[in-house]
Amino acid sequence: MTAPESSAAPLYRLEEAGLALLLEGLRRDGYRLVGPVVRDGAIRLQRIEGISDLPRGFVDEQAPGTYRLRSSGNGRLFACRPGPQSWKRHLFPPREPVVQLKRHGDSLEWRRPVVEDPPMAFIGVLPCDLAAIRIQDRVWMEGPFQETRYVARRRNTFIVAVNCLEPGQLCFCASMGTGPKAGQGFDVCLTELDGAFFLEVGSERGEAAVASLPLREASEEERRRLQESLKQARLRMGRTLETRGLGGTLFGNIEHPRWEEVAKRCLTCGNCTHVCPTCFCLNVRETGTLADGRQDRERFWDSCFSLDHSMIHGGYFRHTPKQRYRQWLTHKLGAWPSQFGTVGCTGCGRCIAWCPVGIDITEEATAIRKTSRGHVRMPQPRSAPVRAGDPLVPTPAQVKGVRQETPDTTTLWVEPTGPFHWKPGQFNMLSIPGVGDVPISISGQEGSGILHTIRAVGKVTRALTSLQPGALLGIRGPFGTSWPLRAVRGRIVTVVAGGIGLAPLRGAIRVMAAHPRHYPWVRLIYGARTPADLLYPEELELWRQLLHMEVEVTVDRATPDWTGNVGVVTKLLRAGRKVRPDGVYLVCGPEIMMMVVLEELRAAGVPEEHIYLSLERNMKCGAGFCGRCQKGPFFLCKDGPVFRYDRISFVFRHAGL
Amino acid sequence: MNEQMNGKVSKEHDGTRTFRVEMLTRVEGEGRFHLEVKDGQVRKAILHIFEPPRFFEGFLVGRSLFEVPDITARICGICPVTYQMSSTRALEAILGITPSTGIRKLRRLMYCAEWIESHALHIFLLHAPDFLGYASALEMARDHRGLVETALRMKKVGNSLLEAIGARAIHPVSVRVGGFTKPPSPRRLQALLPELEWGLEAAQETVTITNSLPMPEFQQPYVFVALDGGADYPLEWGEQIAVSGRDPVPLGEFEKVFIEEQVDRSPAFHCRLPDGTPYLTGPMARLNLFADRLHPRAQEALERTGLTLPVLNPYRSIVVRAVELVHAFAEAVDLVREYTPPEPPYFEAPLRAGEGFGATEAPRGLQYQRYRVNDAGIVQEARIVPPTSQNQPRIEADLAGLGPELLAMSQEEATLRCEQLIRAYDPCISCATHFLKLDIREVED
Amino acid sequence: MTASPLYSGTQVSRVETPAAQGATELGVDPTEKDARGGRPRLGVFKFASCSGCQGVLLSCEDELLALADALEILYFPEASSHLQEEGPFDLALVEGSISAPEHLEQIQKIRARSKTLVTIGACATSGGIQALRNFGNLDDFVHRVYPRPEFIAALATSTAVAEHVKVDYELRGCPISKRQLLELITAILLGRRPEIRNESLCLGCKRYGYVCVTVAHGLPCLGPVTMNGCGALCPSVGRGCYGCFGPKEGANTEAMAQRMLQLGMSKDDVRNAFRFITGYAQAFREESARHE
Ligand SMILES: Cc1cc2nc3c(=O)[nH]c(=O)nc-3n(C[C@H](O)[C@H](O)[C@H](O)COP(=O)(O)OP(=O)(O)OC[C@H]3O[C@@H](n4cnc5c(N)ncnc54)[C@H](O)[C@@H]3O)c2cc1C
Ligand code: SF4
Ligand code: SF4
Ligand code: SF4
Ligand code: SF4
Repeated sequence: MTAPESSAAPLYRLEEAGLALLLEGLRRDGYRLVGPVVRDGAIRLQRIEGISDLPRGFVDEQAPGTYRLRSSGNGRLFACRPGPQSWKRHLFPPREPVVQLKRHGDSLEWRRPVVEDPPMAFIGVLPCDLAAIRIQDRVWMEGPFQETRYVARRRNTFIVAVNCLEPGQLCFCASMGTGPKAGQGFDVCLTELDGAFFLEVGSERGEAAVASLPLREASEEERRRLQESLKQARLRMGRTLETRGLGGTLFGNIEHPRWEEVAKRCLTCGNCTHVCPTCFCLNVRETGTLADGRQDRERFWDSCFSLDHSMIHGGYFRHTPKQRYRQWLTHKLGAWPSQFGTVGCTGCGRCIAWCPVGIDITEEATAIRKTSRGHVRMPQPRSAPVRAGDPLVPTPAQVKGVRQETPDTTTLWVEPTGPFHWKPGQFNMLSIPGVGDVPISISGQEGSGILHTIRAVGKVTRALTSLQPGALLGIRGPFGTSWPLRAVRGRIVTVVAGGIGLAPLRGAIRVMAAHPRHYPWVRLIYGARTPADLLYPEELELWRQLLHMEVEVTVDRATPDWTGNVGVVTKLLRAGRKVRPDGVYLVCGPEIMMMVVLEELRAAGVPEEHIYLSLERNMKCGAGFCGRCQKGPFFLCKDGPVFRYDRISFVFRHAGL
Repeated sequence: MNEQMNGKVSKEHDGTRTFRVEMLTRVEGEGRFHLEVKDGQVRKAILHIFEPPRFFEGFLVGRSLFEVPDITARICGICPVTYQMSSTRALEAILGITPSTGIRKLRRLMYCAEWIESHALHIFLLHAPDFLGYASALEMARDHRGLVETALRMKKVGNSLLEAIGARAIHPVSVRVGGFTKPPSPRRLQALLPELEWGLEAAQETVTITNSLPMPEFQQPYVFVALDGGADYPLEWGEQIAVSGRDPVPLGEFEKVFIEEQVDRSPAFHCRLPDGTPYLTGPMARLNLFADRLHPRAQEALERTGLTLPVLNPYRSIVVRAVELVHAFAEAVDLVREYTPPEPPYFEAPLRAGEGFGATEAPRGLQYQRYRVNDAGIVQEARIVPPTSQNQPRIEADLAGLGPELLAMSQEEATLRCEQLIRAYDPCISCATHFLKLDIREVED
Repeated sequence: MTASPLYSGTQVSRVETPAAQGATELGVDPTEKDARGGRPRLGVFKFASCSGCQGVLLSCEDELLALADALEILYFPEASSHLQEEGPFDLALVEGSISAPEHLEQIQKIRARSKTLVTIGACATSGGIQALRNFGNLDDFVHRVYPRPEFIAALATSTAVAEHVKVDYELRGCPISKRQLLELITAILLGRRPEIRNESLCLGCKRYGYVCVTVAHGLPCLGPVTMNGCGALCPSVGRGCYGCFGPKEGANTEAMAQRMLQLGMSKDDVRNAFRFITGYAQAFREESARHE
């Protein structure tokens, strides 16, 4: 991302008094200045009034787990390297409202509060941090959805970058291609050298801001000095990291013993993720108390080191410290390029300094590379079409009907506010005010109403399954990928479902049931815990009567009146020699069930590209923002939940990803 | 009212009338009282406290002196600052640290905050319902919502001030031996000024309100004991202890003069003067001894009440507390106005062996601590005397004094009168680490 | 799409099953509340403690009256003389540790009378500061404090309520946090999952933007192994956390202790650091034992 250093972009010399004028001008234009300030023994990024607030005469010393400010012995304003805070806390604040609920009589209205803060001017953005902002832009602004509050802040932010002539002990921006010279994205860029500032302009907005400053074109000699200093800086990085093929190496070494070793030292405290300028995982909570009577929702920074991050009802995907540390490092250095087309690390060194026990990401990655045991090919980033609207704002919907399917499972028949287009396999986020918001697959449609089949396992699903006809709820969606109904036309399609896993498949089965010409042979193999837990028994019967469909059902535990199959679905698959290598398989159920089914299919020689799975992960947004639904380089909410198995097999095989 | 439900039991046979409450309410901690009058003679007047022992003085031994303020805070959730401050006073004395004026002022401000919080709680939420005939302030709120809201708001001002200085109101975390880990910014404190000024007015109003409450007539001959804070009203600092009608006692002599003893067959440790006289500490003692040191705003308030000193009616302590509330608000306003963060925020000194004493005035009375540490700063011995163990013999003496006039009352009225009297002392039972279960046997027999 | 007859309009009906009734299992069942026509009933109980955690409830100055309207307060001796000890309680808040013989029976009674039992504070959830006596000999303590020890009736240990009865939720802290208390009460009554995160204090510390005292000042801080909830108060005033919210899930106390030794603490210091306000919580207890 670094612009070529020899570029002949105009370079100006600006004295300190001129810099003061620049800041004053920005203030006059209505910007709130934010810059580095010395507080509590470190550099914090906070509101400043002018250059007198800047850390003149300070420099930091950093080592793993240690940070000290000391006097620099000179009057430089920008000698400090990255401190504990990064600019993300201003663009993506640690806590912020998501939606507010208003009740108008019987109806509900969710609103996204607009950003009311004045525009900000960031003063002194280091090159690595400028790159970090660009990386976060990809997360919040350049995916299928836009995070509207981020966009509002970001668009209005004026950036004064500062090139780095004295990299620190923990810096490795040169390895990451983010510094020591600022790349794209600044409005104005400064280099502090020999008691003056050399200024470049990076945007029209920047142009206007410097128009009336006392600038003088830099001399050839000055230009040369500056180039030379930057070159020297590049050579003085305290750390290096070889990035070539790193993602493939990391994902090729998921079971490497080094993960265990680092897990012994790691406190799973999550400091590394919170100081990292690019980490974006978040969580959402319902706010409001009995006392204030509000039912709003806010989001806050979360970390893949928190257990809750990987929670689904009844368990955690990443329970051990090893799994959590591995998630962090593989995401940062390995998965990010596939997700966002850029690596997630800028080489700022914060996670090394601010890890209380000084764990060093470069050391860990290098250790794995040096003793690598395998390599995989990482997927290319997927460019999804941009979708309109704010994905975080629920729209009200009304329950038209309710049907108890099994003792713990209920189908809601829900009428959305407007026209609603969905594809089988996709899901909605369903909201109950004050209680929560959960992903639920769309299990069909009746008239203009859509169906959701919900198993009561926790608080939100219990509240959903207790709704009565007429009740209001909120819907966001539809989200995610769908079953490949077009691609499987004309093939022998085998649907394997376990438990509630039939719900996301039902929409697809209904289509196939209705179109025998396209789907000449459809087989459904369905397992439930007990006969009473079987979903949609009447519909199963209907399908069974269709000439082009076969339906086989099995239960784990029979009751006296049960005359059908007993045992797991794989038993059925094997017994009837159902596994045809030339068939296509659509599979959804508990992850453990899917694992054994896959093993069965693999043994029978079914190519991986003929298998489709629908996965499940903790999910808070559905729009690719919360980071919780990751499985290796994939986001379930936008790359999934339905995946072609060959694309994910290299991660699906491993528990704890 | 269903008496059984409220744990009030009365017996009357062979001319004995017994008044007791099995579970004292609207006091901090758990206790009961038992008063027996036979043939017009008080036979038993006992305040029993059945908080389980928590052995603070036991496990303080072996800890570093720097840990002490965080431990002693946990003695009491109502007045943790008191305990922290007496500890730091005693331990600083050992290390030879004399805190700067800035630190002392900030401590005093913190103390004012605790007084505000505690007095507002006690006056309105714990004591006032007695005078107005309610079971609780929450019930009282049905008829007097404005009053309860004012009380809560005052209490909140105290808590906010505590939070600003100590990060949290209950068991603050910024207090350390030598000073403060980090003092608050002036801006943070000054933001509270408008509420403090409102509180000062509300406290004035509180004096008027409490002064107009129906007041039972009752008087006892009291010995008053309070910390002598030099020119200042007794609060967080003082080198000696004033005793009405007797010589002042230097801190180091505390245990010689205020004798804690386990009287035979008596429920608990009692603190008495060497001749066995019970004494009173707390708002009434402070006011009677040091009314002239009140903040001018509080003196005005006192004058408006028309009270003549000494105040000898314990029920009137609710008014005295209100006067002290004015004092705490007025002093807090002054201290916040002139505040600059103490620099350095704390003092350090090399560890050394020694013994030190510290006493401060908890909202409910004098609180004393003594430590002996070795040259590594490890506590070898600890002594903690909470206000309630000092007041206990006095409460019992009051109950005994009340005995005869109770005979003319209905059981319910009489019991209530006793409870009201006990509450007047704002007893804090968890504090009273010395008060034990051992008495129960005697009551049950 | 197949037009299935199953979901056409009026045919859709709701079948009541036990599972559906259990909808708010851990919460207060709204149907029962309706049948009784009353507000959920609250009891506040105290065992060995300093009353600070109840104090937090009383310190909800802005919310107290609203709470008193929403709840029927049956038992709260510190606030009200109107006591209905028999309950039954929809929500019982229990403060304090089990440390005297009669507590054993009392806590069973409370459990039996309460639908949802929540322990509040370090005392109730870990034994509290008074559990420091668990590491010594009770007799020694008794003798050290009381001249007439024969009258002292105390259990040998001070323990968490959960060691005696089933606890539905716990609020950590010495004292508990007001935000968490309000959140928990609201969540229980609304039937939502209380947002009480079992994560490191560091996450809170960083969200608030405090400067890490370990990294920037070399001060030991238990934040990385302590459960978040207080608002990172100690780091906010420039000192290390002393663990009053107790261990976070999966606390790596061994690595923490290594770091503390590196920062210059002695073995005794490390032992005492873990053996403090929540020293009897398992992870801290075990770590302190490693530094005997
Ligand atoms: C793409 C997708 C489709 C799904 N489709 C269905 C469906 O059709 N029918 C159905 O019954 N269930 C479905 N689930 C599972 C359903 O989302 C969880 O059962 C539900 O989130 C549990 O929430 P709770 O509050 O009741 O449980 P709790 O255990 O109280 O969960 C607390 C919170 O954790 C998160 N969480 C917990 N479990 C899951 C989970 N399995 N997946 C994602 N987030 C979780 C949620 O944010 C939830 O609010 C689907 C999950 C995903 C990811
Ligand atoms: S790597 Fe360091 S900062 Fe990150 S979770 Fe582990 S111990 Fe904490
Ligand atoms: S946990 Fe702490 S604040 Fe709560 S009662 Fe126990 S000692 Fe007091
Ligand atoms: S100060 Fe303590 S809680 Fe905060 S980040 Fe550092 S180690 Fe964690
Ligand atoms: S930082 Fe730690 S010790 Fe301090 S209040 Fe919070 S949890 Fe308690």
